[in-house]
Amino acid sequence: MADQPRRSWSDAALEDGLRGLADAIEWPTAGPTAAGGPDLAAVVRGRIEAAGPYAPARRRWSWRPARRALVVAVAVLLAFAALAGAAGLGLPGLRLIFGPAPVSPPPSLEPSRSPARGSPARGAPGASMGLGTRVELGDLDARADFPVSLPADPALGQPDAAYVDPTRGGQVTLVWAARPGLPDTLEPGVGLVLTAFRGAVGDAFFTKVIGMDTTVRPVRVDGRRAYWLSGDPHFLFYDGPDGFVTDSRRWVGDALIWADGPITYRLETSLGADRAVEIATSMP
Amino acid sequence: MIDRACAGDVAAYETLVRRYQDVALRTAHLVAPEADAADAAQDAFIKAHAALPRFRRGAPFRPWLLRIVANEARNRRRSADRRAGLALRVSVAGPADDVAPSPESAVIASETRGLLLAALGNLRGEEREVIGARYFLGLSEAETAEALAIPAGTVKSRTARALGHLRVTLGATDGGRTDG
Repeated sequence: MADQPRRSWSDAALEDGLRGLADAIEWPTAGPTAAGGPDLAAVVRGRIEAAGPYAPARRRWSWRPARRALVVAVAVLLAFAALAGAAGLGLPGLRLIFGPAPVSPPPSLEPSRSPARGSPARGAPGASMGLGTRVELGDLDARADFPVSLPADPALGQPDAAYVDPTRGGQVTLVWAARPGLPDTLEPGVGLVLTAFRGAVGDAFFTKVIGMDTTVRPVRVDGRRAYWLSGDPHFLFYDGPDGFVTDSRRWVGDALIWADGPITYRLETSLGADRAVEIATSMP
Repeated sequence: MIDRACAGDVAAYETLVRRYQDVALRTAHLVAPEADAADAAQDAFIKAHAALPRFRRGAPFRPWLLRIVANEARNRRRSADRRAGLALRVSVAGPADDVAPSPESAVIASETRGLLLAALGNLRGEEREVIGARYFLGLSEAETAEALAIPAGTVKSRTARALGHLRVTLGATDGGRTDG
């Protein structure tokens, strides 16, 4: 067989060969099969009917009108921004879309639980920010569905609170309380917020809607490409492991965004870009 | 049909599932060959149903659905077998539309499929996914971009790069010959 003449591999030959290969691959079938395999569509219908129609989605969209209106407005901005022109900046899995600034800096999306400006939140830092379920730091590895790295920066120390939000694809948020040397972010009492969420290279889809007055500066975190966003508010959308996620929490400070393998990080602080990069670089 | 499904008509959604189940299974199989494609597709259809209220009316449904399928399959790939490689298998008989090939051409066709499959196994996962989406699933560049959640320009460049890698591998397999 090795003596058989081989075909050349021009573009057309290669593409034809690949298309032909598609017909020869043993693809899985949906059933019902002669061997008694399940009928996929019937199984899906059964599961939907057993769970009740749209139960999760209805819960998600039963927000207060103000909150819902804000998200709708962001969606409109997203469409407008797309029309205005998109600019991919090349961070794996991240797409930044420039568009008009949000109509106004949005209030906290948990208005009834948000503290008055200048008045630190009661309880753990970040407790009023709608970050999910608070977990003990020691339980974080067990509660998160990916390994969570902590900054080793000695001046920062351990986070004061940790949260996991299963409604946002298992997003993990670490919060440090404000203190001397760690000034308040826009959220009183909160000095630094580090958010981690799953998104492998080419896997996830993140879109930031940022205002025209938002400054985006490319930086490096341990040699990896990263971006420092400062200025106008921004919002985050991404496809998490459980589907499309609208992270509609307003930002509380300028943000450093970078990816390490399948995990993307967002660090919000008032310390400035250089210090943020130092903190990020200290993460193993 | 999509509007009816979005309005809560489960029967309409079942019809959509039947319409797209084959391409969904193929997508899951491409992304995570070692995982159970039927389980991945089934869970993806459930998640897609829950996400229907967020589906943008008038947008193409197929790539939107396939993105959910691909994500679901990737999650299973991560948890099941990170080094699975390519586990696609070709049938011995070859394509069903082969019309009485001669023994010689059947051997060459079979060998060609084997070479291609082996070369595909040497591609990076992201390149295999693009090749699979474009040539196995027959998606357009725009659909591939939507389904794999990457920019359209990346689809084009990644496809070209993958084809180049395939040519290099196939050339090496052929002993460097570029006859023909």
